[in-house]
Amino acid sequence: MSNLLEVQDLKKYFTKTSGLLKKTEQHVKAVDNVSFTVAHGETLGLVGESGCGKSTTGRTILKLYQPTSGKIVFDGVDITNFTEKQMLPYRKKMQMIFQDPYASLNGRMTISDIIGEAIDTHKVATSAKDRDDMIANLLERVGLMKDHASRYPHEFSGGQRQRIGIARALAVNPEFIICDEPISALDVSIQAQVVNMLEEIQRKTGVGYLFIAHDLSMVKHISNRIGVMYLGQLVEIGDRDKVYSNPEHPYTKALLSAIPIPDPQSEKSKSRIVLQGDVPSPLNPPSGCHFRTRCQYCMKICKEVEPVLQTLEDNHQVACHLFS
Amino acid sequence: MWEPINKDLLGGAQETRKSLTYWQDVWRRLRQNIMAMTGLIMIITIALLAVFGPMFSGFTYSEQNTALANIAPNIELTSIGDGDYVFVHNDYKLINATSEGELLGAPEIIEDNKTAKFILYNINGKEVKFDYSIAQKARTKGSKVTETNSDMKTKYDIYVDGQLIDKYDVQSIWNKTYLLGTDNLGRDVWTRVLYGARISLTVGLVASVVNLFIGVLYGGIAGYEGGKVDNIMMRIVDIINSVPLLLIVILLMVVIEPGLQTIILTIGLVYWVGMARLVRGQVLSLKEQEFVLAARALGVSKAKIVIKHLIPNAIGPIVVSMMMSIPSAIFTEAFLSFIGLGVSAPEASWGTLANDALGGIRSYPYQLIVPSVAIALTMFAFNFLGDGLRDALDPRLRK
Repeated sequence: MSNLLEVQDLKKYFTKTSGLLKKTEQHVKAVDNVSFTVAHGETLGLVGESGCGKSTTGRTILKLYQPTSGKIVFDGVDITNFTEKQMLPYRKKMQMIFQDPYASLNGRMTISDIIGEAIDTHKVATSAKDRDDMIANLLERVGLMKDHASRYPHEFSGGQRQRIGIARALAVNPEFIICDEPISALDVSIQAQVVNMLEEIQRKTGVGYLFIAHDLSMVKHISNRIGVMYLGQLVEIGDRDKVYSNPEHPYTKALLSAIPIPDPQSEKSKSRIVLQGDVPSPLNPPSGCHFRTRCQYCMKICKEVEPVLQTLEDNHQVACHLFS
Repeated sequence: MWEPINKDLLGGAQETRKSLTYWQDVWRRLRQNIMAMTGLIMIITIALLAVFGPMFSGFTYSEQNTALANIAPNIELTSIGDGDYVFVHNDYKLINATSEGELLGAPEIIEDNKTAKFILYNINGKEVKFDYSIAQKARTKGSKVTETNSDMKTKYDIYVDGQLIDKYDVQSIWNKTYLLGTDNLGRDVWTRVLYGARISLTVGLVASVVNLFIGVLYGGIAGYEGGKVDNIMMRIVDIINSVPLLLIVILLMVVIEPGLQTIILTIGLVYWVGMARLVRGQVLSLKEQEFVLAARALGVSKAKIVIKHLIPNAIGPIVVSMMMSIPSAIFTEAFLSFIGLGVSAPEASWGTLANDALGGIRSYPYQLIVPSVAIALTMFAFNFLGDGLRDALDPRLRK
């Protein structure tokens, strides 16, 4: 499998200026040195707690935010410093499904306008009839009816709206879709529907996903590989089964221990690792390993040296001094 | 017991209700608002009158007839026999009229004796003597004209062919020739008010169009671009906003001659500022919404994002602010005309009409009341409609 997307040392800092004449500058290191790859037809799950930079990573890859440094290579082409014009053909190849189905659809446009905007921007349709057919076809693919096209977003439920968002992303036949917590705003029964639909689309079209979520069991269900982020950094990445059955990074261990097991006996016997303290401010992250303030294995070196990702065994990478 | 229903029996019973568009929804809510609808009907009436009214009034706005100056809309007619009527003007003269209230004009004067204080008229062969010497007699030396003797009737006597007639036997009737009377040059006030409406509505229209195009685009660009561009653009707005309107008008008048163009130019220069601020604020909050990110992820151009996504979502406040800017522009025009910086004579605007009437405010108050009521009604109408639109466009009611 060749790599569809390669992210190398991606950084996205947001600058916060304060004081008289905006002299003092502080950086929010939303994404700090993140590297990973996504292969064709593969799903990479990205997990981590709120505010750890998952969404920012996704948006930076799509160049909705200009990366501070690093490299984004899509299909062998470095798109990091592409202008908006140069990006246009890649916008057709990379799409995004958004978290909030209420905010991600323009309330003043009909469904056919919303989906049609994607078709028009990339001139996918050859005629007006072709365009209508495509919209009807897309709506059916995501399980809606074609006469829904003339309606407005407020006439749909959250789940239906999310399907419209997915139809919009699919309209340009992308090779890669960033799913930015597509299911976290939906209730559980709808979550399953949407996830199943995403899987089916992947089976049919071979699209690659970057699946951002904080629902660990859902990520386990859909992903081939999992990446775990903490405070803007990737702390562990590897095959799904490896990461879930044999987590190596202390943070991953703590995170996975929080998954409820649907069996009272084993749930009772399972040991839950409860992290102490809060996530440090990304404005002023701890020196060395970002996780050291909450890590029970914290050593002297953790304070001084920032750990780098190191490969343990086939594709399982961990950024922790415990393994050096 | 329970059996699953045969799906064929259900048929194609799909709900296919045509969904209401945003504007249909707004219109539905607006119609229920009586005040707003009153305002709307008033605006339409005023607009129609302004456009077509002068065609039917029978006078032009500059047509003068000094003989018939300062005649009120409601006149008192004194019968002089044989179906002839006269109207006693406050300026100590008689005006010939019909019993219907139509003014026939000043009658032929045989003798105007200013020493003995009488005027001799010839009205249809009758010799009518209008004697106003008692006005002098009624006043003792040094006394002032007070409320009690300000009644015109105590100041004259009318003799028809030498016979004193009962001056108190008068009938009050509406002026049929000049619906709202005449001003101090004998111009029809009704026609001039209608012309004033033209100017006011033009100014209002220009203000709203300028608001819409310059204000919305300027604010939209500043808000969407953000950063330095926004900073520079908004500082320009601050500068424009900090120069007093009056100063701009006076300065412009050095360059251009006073008149409607100056006022329109001034309002065009100044009025979009508030709208630009409002739109910028709206765009700033909207541009972080996910649907804008989605459009950007699709590669939709900046211009299209602003025009198709951001402005339509801010249309509620835009429409309301536009509606509210019309009465304030109309009022500004009236104010500038009132202080003499507006349209020049003989053109009429509500402000100049009010200003012209100010001199005769005691004797001919109707000349001031008419344009004032016109201004008030128009402002009311636009404000009512603006309020109604704000309620109808309120997104909180929509969800």
